[in-house]
Amino acid sequence: MKTIKFKARVIAIALISAFGISEVTAQSADEIAKKVYNRTTAKDGESDMTMKLVNSKGETRTRLIHQFFKDYGTVEKKTMFFKSPADVKNTAFMNWTYDDDKDDDQWLYLPALKKVKRISSSSKDNAFMGSDFTYEDMEKRNPNKDTHKLLRTVKYKNETCYVIESTPKEEGQYAKRIAWVIKDKWIPLKIEFYDEDVELLKVLTITDYKKIKDYWIIVNQEMKNVQKNHKTIITLSNIKVDIGLGDTRFTQRAMQRGL
Amino acid sequence: MKKITEIILKYSKLTLLLIVIITVASLYSIKTNFALETNLDTYMPKDHPAFIYSDKAEEMFDIRDAIMIAIENKEGIYNETTFQKIKDLTKEIQKLDVVADKDDVLSLYTADNIKGSEEGLEIEEFFKKIPKTSEKFNEIKEGVRTNEMVWKRLVSEDETSTIIYTKIKDNSFTEELYKEIVAISEQYSGDGDVTYVAGQPIIEGTMAILMPKDMKKMFPVVLLLIVIVLFIVLRSIKATLISLLVVVFSSIWTFGLMLGVGIPIYAPSSLIPVMLIAIGVADTIHLFSHLQLMIREHSDWTKEQLIKNMNAEMFRPVMMTSVTTAVGFLSLLTSDIYPIKYFAAFTAFGVMAAMFFSLIFIPASVNLLGLPKALKLTASNEDDFFTKNAKGFANMMVRNKKTVIVSTVVVLLFFGFGMSKVWINSSFLARFPDKNPLVTTDAFVNSKFLGTTTVNVILEAKEEDKFKNPAVLELMDEMALTAEKEVAIIGGALSVVDFIKRMNKVLHEDQEKFYTVPSDQNLIAQYFLLYEMSGGSDRLWDVVSDDFKTANMQLQLKGDNSKGLNATIATIEKYKEEFKALGVELNFAGSGYKVLVFNDLILIGQIKSLAYSFIIVIVLLSLMFRSIKLGLIGTIPIFITTIISFGVLGWLNIPLETTTALISSIAIGIGIDYAVHFIDRYKINALATQNKELTVAETMAHSGRAISFNAVVVILGFLVLTFSAFKPNIALGAIVSLNMFTSFIATITVMFIVLYVGNIYFKKK
Repeated sequence: MKTIKFKARVIAIALISAFGISEVTAQSADEIAKKVYNRTTAKDGESDMTMKLVNSKGETRTRLIHQFFKDYGTVEKKTMFFKSPADVKNTAFMNWTYDDDKDDDQWLYLPALKKVKRISSSSKDNAFMGSDFTYEDMEKRNPNKDTHKLLRTVKYKNETCYVIESTPKEEGQYAKRIAWVIKDKWIPLKIEFYDEDVELLKVLTITDYKKIKDYWIIVNQEMKNVQKNHKTIITLSNIKVDIGLGDTRFTQRAMQRGL
Repeated sequence: MKKITEIILKYSKLTLLLIVIITVASLYSIKTNFALETNLDTYMPKDHPAFIYSDKAEEMFDIRDAIMIAIENKEGIYNETTFQKIKDLTKEIQKLDVVADKDDVLSLYTADNIKGSEEGLEIEEFFKKIPKTSEKFNEIKEGVRTNEMVWKRLVSEDETSTIIYTKIKDNSFTEELYKEIVAISEQYSGDGDVTYVAGQPIIEGTMAILMPKDMKKMFPVVLLLIVIVLFIVLRSIKATLISLLVVVFSSIWTFGLMLGVGIPIYAPSSLIPVMLIAIGVADTIHLFSHLQLMIREHSDWTKEQLIKNMNAEMFRPVMMTSVTTAVGFLSLLTSDIYPIKYFAAFTAFGVMAAMFFSLIFIPASVNLLGLPKALKLTASNEDDFFTKNAKGFANMMVRNKKTVIVSTVVVLLFFGFGMSKVWINSSFLARFPDKNPLVTTDAFVNSKFLGTTTVNVILEAKEEDKFKNPAVLELMDEMALTAEKEVAIIGGALSVVDFIKRMNKVLHEDQEKFYTVPSDQNLIAQYFLLYEMSGGSDRLWDVVSDDFKTANMQLQLKGDNSKGLNATIATIEKYKEEFKALGVELNFAGSGYKVLVFNDLILIGQIKSLAYSFIIVIVLLSLMFRSIKLGLIGTIPIFITTIISFGVLGWLNIPLETTTALISSIAIGIGIDYAVHFIDRYKINALATQNKELTVAETMAHSGRAISFNAVVVILGFLVLTFSAFKPNIALGAIVSLNMFTSFIATITVMFIVLYVGNIYFKKK
């Protein structure tokens, strides 16, 4: 679910809407971005997550995580438990994201120290757990923060896709993003991220997605930093959604208790 | 040669025209292709294993030398204006084009303050807004004092100075950038604050820029001096001007060719004009003094006859000396360092060009412009100084041959012992004058902070997570602490261990006893996870790879002299075996280390080229004189010269470095000339007279004049270098001058005696 969440966010980021050049395209670009942002997501859920970090030499580091999430409307809570590597096994991470501009609340439970430590809210352009995703890449981005432009409509991987370019109104971590959004499903198949010099920095590719209950869920995706030739592959498995998770799942006590 | 001389005489105008055309073409080539190579990185041999390794490590850990700007306020830095300056200066530097990433500028404003809070770990800046109250300042002050990672590194122990480290893009240092940074920082001086700019990129960059500039200043001085000396020796404006053109043309052709084939001017190449003037002038003096002597002796000869005689008689010695000199320089081609190879090849070319001009340009010019004045006669037909005293001197030598030999041996022993004291200094800073602002600023920064020179210790394991292993981390900690304690020059170390110890302490309510490496590997791993999740900066990845397989320990040294660098490396290397036992390889990287290796290479190159040049000179002389015995005798002066030259370096505590190391090859190449002239004359006279007495007197007189003139000119030419701004150039000028003097004296004393005793060219009685 967490993953589901962050799928949605990635999508949202890509698809922001605003005022374009031609009224017609601007209107539709704006709509597309909103549709992605407002796509229905599960109320709660859990899944296993494999995070593979592949460096430029092709060496891979793998992290296995089990995650829970629950959407409370104004706040979204998630807890992640590390299953491997062994040295961080049972380490738990909890994150509460608020809909308003309030900073996230975050905690980490260190089993070796047997203590929960609060983490000061980190900058959104920091890498998430050393991956090629930044915190911002994994959160919902309000489409109003960007200007959107529909570049073209193309056939991509046998799907009809809108190619949307989103440029932030205020300087952000990227100069712009270009997303390929599947018509009717409102999920992106690919997003290109451009750095401050408007050079291609990262490419997100969705390689597998499926419909679980009423939701389109991205199951496998790869974020590649083309400048550093470094990539992160995130795969979800054992996905369960709308299972009615209790509030006690999202407490410090739950973090200490473990899976 | 005879035929060539005839052609030159016949087509003098055409010859001159051709020479002028080529000279103009060379000038054009210099103008269009002019390029100065000031990036010291290009001086290093890229394919050497130590450099390949270091480059790889530099890439991996983003190791770059930093430009350092220090702000000093004698009243202490914890006040609003100084803090405002730290912030503004940091931001201004971050905006420079040469700064690729804002994180490349490290100051109190951008540094991470890793600290503990009641609930957890906080990684944030020391300040964002300028504090307004003394409470706030005290809080920051306390935070800095108790943070081992910034204390003394970013703020001096007396709290009167703080520093801004800036990593600039590779190869981006220029003179303009230096001026810009100095100008920017100067704006922040005032109100009790003083700024200082230091750092290795500035020292290296400035040196590479100043060396050629210095030479540009020297060149006209050398030229003027040579004109004066030439005029005194030759007493003819015409001969002086022609000689001047010979040396100037040979320099122009050399630079025209070098730049034309796309080789920029490296620092050593800036010495070429001075070399060529000193060497080229020797050829012209030989030719003109012979010509003037003949004009006096054969007043009935025509101009053509005189020119033909000059070329016929002087062709051999001029060619021989030029070839031996060129070979002396060419022996430097064995060096691994390309700038030295270029220096060697093009100086050799210039020497041959000077020979060509002497044998072609001089006859053609004299033919067109007329003969120079005859040699000035002292009184009527009396013998001149040399003729008069030569015989007496020669006889004195012969009489006191035992004394001469014994004193030579004593001198050799004395200087031979001095040789053992020779040391190598790779310090760039030591080459600047003591009062140079770079030197004083560097001294200031070294007195207040951890040091301006960096050596990186690279630790490599085969498996991931090795640098989460407590045993490995503890050994690193021990190594760093020992090195800091035992090697005075080491100001401090920074490694992944400092991050771990810091986190362990702040997560245990700042208790000092937790400023250690935890014994639980899992806890260490979880600390790093916490660090990553807490928004810890990428500066962690400057000291450890993200798979924790490789680590980089930065050692900051207060100075870049080789003694300190070697002591540092020796102390660290003691840990090599212990790390090996833990499955970790220990190596070095970074500019401090590369410069050390670079200088070792230069030195090995010198020793190799010295050996080669001796062998080649012996072979050449043996061939020229068709006698191995003479080949060996001919090297006596340069052998003595080499010993004395290194002995002087040792006794006077002058270190060997890139420039002074050139001395030996220069000394051999030029010093051998005296022996060649002397032996050649000796042979001619011996074969002609078969009378030892006559031969000795005549050789001493004729050859003595030429080589003492030559010695005076070359010595004066090189002495000009002692006015250089660079210590190595001063040493080079002084010692090459001394070498020329030694070679000269050794030729007319020891070598002469050996030649005399050897009975060569005289049939056995």
